[in-house]
Amino acid sequence: MDLAQLTGDLEDLRSEAMAQAAAAPDSAALEALEIELLGKRGRLTAVLRGIGALPAEDRPRVGAVANTVREGIEAAIRHRGKSLRGGELDARLARERVDVTTPGRPIRRGSLHPSLEAMADIAAIFAQFGFVVVESPEIEDDRTNFQMLNIPPDHPARDLWDTLYVDLPGHLLRTHTSPGQIRVMQSMAPPIRVLLPGRCFRYEAVDASHGFEFFQVEGLMVDEGTTLADLKGLLDQFAHAMFGAGKRTRFRPGYYPFTEPSVAFDVECLVCGGPGCAACGRTGWLTILGAGMVHPVVLQYGGLDPERYQGFAFGMGPERISMLKHGITDLRLFMENDLRFLGQFR
Amino acid sequence: MRVPLSWLRDYVDLEQSPDWIARRLTLLGMEVKGIEHRGLEWRNVVVGELLSVERHPRADRLSLTRVTTGSGEPLEIVCGATNIAAGDRVPVALPGAVLPGDRRIERTEKMGVVSNGMLCSGDELQLTADADGIMILPADTPLGVPLAGLYGDVVLDVDVKPNRGDALSIVGLAREIAAVTGTSVRFPDSTVTEAGRPTPERLRVDVEDPTLCSRFVGRWVEDVRVGPSPASVQMRLIAAGVRPVSNVVDASNYVMVELGKPIHIFDAAAVHDGRIVVRLARPGERLVTLDHVDRELHPETLLIADAAGPLGIAGVMGGAESEVSDATRNVVVESAIFDPISIRRTAFRYGLRSEASLRFEKGQEHRLARIGADRTARLVAEWAGGTVAPGVVDTHPAEPPPARVAFRPARVNRLLGTALAPAEQAAVLERVGLAIEAGGAGDDPTTAGSGAGVNVRVAAGERPLVVEADPADVLVAVVPTWRRDIEIEADIAEEVARIHGYDLVPSTLPSTSMPPFRSSPLELRDGLRRALVGAGLREVVTHALVAPASLDRVRWREPVDVADGETEARGTPIAVTNPLSADHSVLRQSLVASLLDIVASNARRGRPDVAIFEVGKGYGRVGQTTSEWWRLALALWGPLDQPAWNRPARDADLDDAKGLVALVAGYLGLGEPSYTPVPSEPSLHPGRAAEVRAIDGTGATGLAGRIGELHPSLVEAWDVRGRVIVAELSVRGLTAGQLPVPRAVAPSRQPDVERDVAVVVTEDRPSGELEMVIRASAGPLLRHVRLFDVYRGAPLAAEERSLAFRLRFAAADRTLIEAEVEAAMAAVVRALETAGGRLRS
Repeated sequence: MDLAQLTGDLEDLRSEAMAQAAAAPDSAALEALEIELLGKRGRLTAVLRGIGALPAEDRPRVGAVANTVREGIEAAIRHRGKSLRGGELDARLARERVDVTTPGRPIRRGSLHPSLEAMADIAAIFAQFGFVVVESPEIEDDRTNFQMLNIPPDHPARDLWDTLYVDLPGHLLRTHTSPGQIRVMQSMAPPIRVLLPGRCFRYEAVDASHGFEFFQVEGLMVDEGTTLADLKGLLDQFAHAMFGAGKRTRFRPGYYPFTEPSVAFDVECLVCGGPGCAACGRTGWLTILGAGMVHPVVLQYGGLDPERYQGFAFGMGPERISMLKHGITDLRLFMENDLRFLGQFR
Repeated sequence: MRVPLSWLRDYVDLEQSPDWIARRLTLLGMEVKGIEHRGLEWRNVVVGELLSVERHPRADRLSLTRVTTGSGEPLEIVCGATNIAAGDRVPVALPGAVLPGDRRIERTEKMGVVSNGMLCSGDELQLTADADGIMILPADTPLGVPLAGLYGDVVLDVDVKPNRGDALSIVGLAREIAAVTGTSVRFPDSTVTEAGRPTPERLRVDVEDPTLCSRFVGRWVEDVRVGPSPASVQMRLIAAGVRPVSNVVDASNYVMVELGKPIHIFDAAAVHDGRIVVRLARPGERLVTLDHVDRELHPETLLIADAAGPLGIAGVMGGAESEVSDATRNVVVESAIFDPISIRRTAFRYGLRSEASLRFEKGQEHRLARIGADRTARLVAEWAGGTVAPGVVDTHPAEPPPARVAFRPARVNRLLGTALAPAEQAAVLERVGLAIEAGGAGDDPTTAGSGAGVNVRVAAGERPLVVEADPADVLVAVVPTWRRDIEIEADIAEEVARIHGYDLVPSTLPSTSMPPFRSSPLELRDGLRRALVGAGLREVVTHALVAPASLDRVRWREPVDVADGETEARGTPIAVTNPLSADHSVLRQSLVASLLDIVASNARRGRPDVAIFEVGKGYGRVGQTTSEWWRLALALWGPLDQPAWNRPARDADLDDAKGLVALVAGYLGLGEPSYTPVPSEPSLHPGRAAEVRAIDGTGATGLAGRIGELHPSLVEAWDVRGRVIVAELSVRGLTAGQLPVPRAVAPSRQPDVERDVAVVVTEDRPSGELEMVIRASAGPLLRHVRLFDVYRGAPLAAEERSLAFRLRFAAADRTLIEAEVEAAMAAVVRALETAGGRLRS
């Protein structure tokens, strides 16, 4: 074995390897080829085994040639590998194409009930004005539901609340959230700003605008200088927040035994905006809620001195608010729980 | 109350349009709920004159008339009525006319003669009650003009509030309008021409208890001829919603609508010896009332009676025997004032609430008793002939003095948030008839304080409150006798705002101090609701009132634990004593049946799947104590994984519900829920029912309840196919709690070590029990246990299954060494074997 023969073998290996690399059909074949040529027990190593037979002065020269050959083969394999991988990726991408126009895998979507959502919306608006939420019982005693609200037994105003009584003497299903006013005043000291949401009951035949079970949100604010003008200002804010900033509002006289003066609060018709239509009974106005200054007798039952403290109360139906807001015309939908109806809310 | 504008205009000058009047009344608190245009429904009905009336050539019962409407050829019209003669002016419905009830009139042939329209009766036009004959119009009625122009009217439907009985009358509403237009009211004429023997010589009235009948005014009218009222009167009454009866009865109803004073008229022949007694019913007494019902009278019933017995129930309904009939010659007019509460109770007791009792309930102005009697007598004489006997019997002729209400104009401003000068307030009040005096003027005993001040009434009724104020700060309002609603200072404030105009009250934001922070009782409830919505459930709200049968269908028999601090479900159901229907007559104790109703109703509508929840209350009583408890309930039915082209449908099962419970537990920072079989709960599948519980880090119960598959017999009862999964949970904080704040720790930088163990047990050994064994034996390094596989089949025996658990170990401060984990696993294996398991290799 002489120098010339060894370098010749190396050159042969190189040219053969270059051809083989360029012809490798895929990445796996190329990898096998790399091991066959350059591996620990590969052909290059086999050729270099002859180096031991050479004179010492020739060995560096063979080493240099061997390095060049190794680099050349490596470059060829790398080059071939790169082009192979590019092609293979293209093939894979082509193979993996899907019909992107098909619908996705459905995820079940839930929904909150519109009555309670309206209640939450109302609470959120009044929270900005410092009103906190308090709850009171649904099974009430006659005294708190009526008498302490200045509605004595046999008072004609009782006609305003057709009542469901329970088999516990002196008790009834609260006809409104107003008895909560008494409970709040008896347990909290002014300044009072509370919201009393909850379920109410009436002896009322079911139709498109009446139900025997419904929700109400009561508001109560009592302090030393709370005025009817404050009530008006606050309700204006509420109407604007709930129905839109530009909406006109109207105060007109109302009647509740537990407020004096009493008012009804209207907002311009959300359907026609004023000229009058079927939705607003041709008046141009929609009634949103009833309110008034807390009656001195009610303050007294709440344990407050009506000479020192005064305030207002209001009560509204979240279903009514929801109906106006969403254009719903039948109250019965709220308790029917048809999922096609409920699914329209978030 | 129905208010014909033509009638209103009798008492107040009113040029304005119906819409204007309606808006003004509404802004005065007399809300107009509707405006009816009467006569709009008559189209093509005009005034005609009969030129001739002849017998129909082929029908004895029909007439052939020739009618002119002033222009064009006379029309031949066939008519069945017999009250017509040539020269009469009558309403003619021309071909193409439309009458009330959408009745269309066309040219028709009647027994061989063409009839070019129809002559109308008052009833056909809904103008009068007369259906027997053609309506004969006054002879000077202009020919050819549309009837709507002559007899059309606008009727307002006014919602008069219960405190304003005085406005439940045409005159009362005229007064309200006059206050805003600045005009005055013309009061109806109640002067009478009297003749003959005086009333007091014919009639005597004794009131046994004047607290129940504060005044009784009686009048005697002789020789009346009972018959129909004039057409114009009938038209008014019909427009006001009152059915005309006869001229005498109509007079009483007319006065009630006009003045708000209910009147009763007796046939004088039925009043024995002309002696009336107003007294309570005696035990066992009976009366046949005007509606021909024989009633046993309750002893609290106030009666108008004579020596022979009851003549009528005072203020509510007269007796049949003393009813005015065609044969009646002499009548007694009763215009009385009864105790409002007594009338209200009596009307409710007999189920006889009427326009009259409604007015009595609200209280009556004392002076109206006399005016009503006179006005009625005048109208009876005018419409039914007869002679009004001189004088009246009157049990209490003295008029009580008007109420005097002292008020502080500064206080009125403080309530309203206005800055109206005292003189301005006085001027506003004077517009509605209140006379305003300076405080302390004269010797006014009703407002004089104990010292030098004036007594201001701040509250009346059950909790009266009077404060003494400096006369210089006070005005005194002398309240007109009809305004029984003005008693205290706040009533004056309302009147000032009402007449001044609520639109003139400023709109300000409160500048008073803010209350301290208070957390919302809704916080946890709302959080949970949103978490469940995020998990794909729809929220429902169902009735708290259910059917008794529904209550029995799903009732937990085994005691159910509740979360810490939550209310137990206990006691017997609470029933409504006056339910609207049996379907909603008791308060529920569980929410599950209500949810099943919703599953069933949606299934019936063709919905393939239902996944719903409700946060609601159950109710119960123990003795005299009621309780209300909050629960979270859910129901799953049908494919929870909705079918799609890329996924098969998968029906909801118990594991889905458990996953939702675990979600709730996780949301509340509780540990993994644990389940205990409950095989004896009748509502649930005995093999698929569990008690669930999840505890917090301190061992307190954060969630507890029932979960399971609905018993197949109940699935059938609700008429649903397939399986329904239900759960009802008590959750700590559902009543009024806040969401717990999670403590966060930095994740360990050391890797966890995982080991699996599979244990073979018989089928009756619950997995939860083995998991407990693992947790109890694995030592402090165990972080997590999870069942990841269940295997049945060869080589296991028939009644065996293999449960494979994955355990995760870690230490916060160091990397675990192999020996530590091996020691823990060895302990687990020993414990599982002791518990009867066999290790599967």
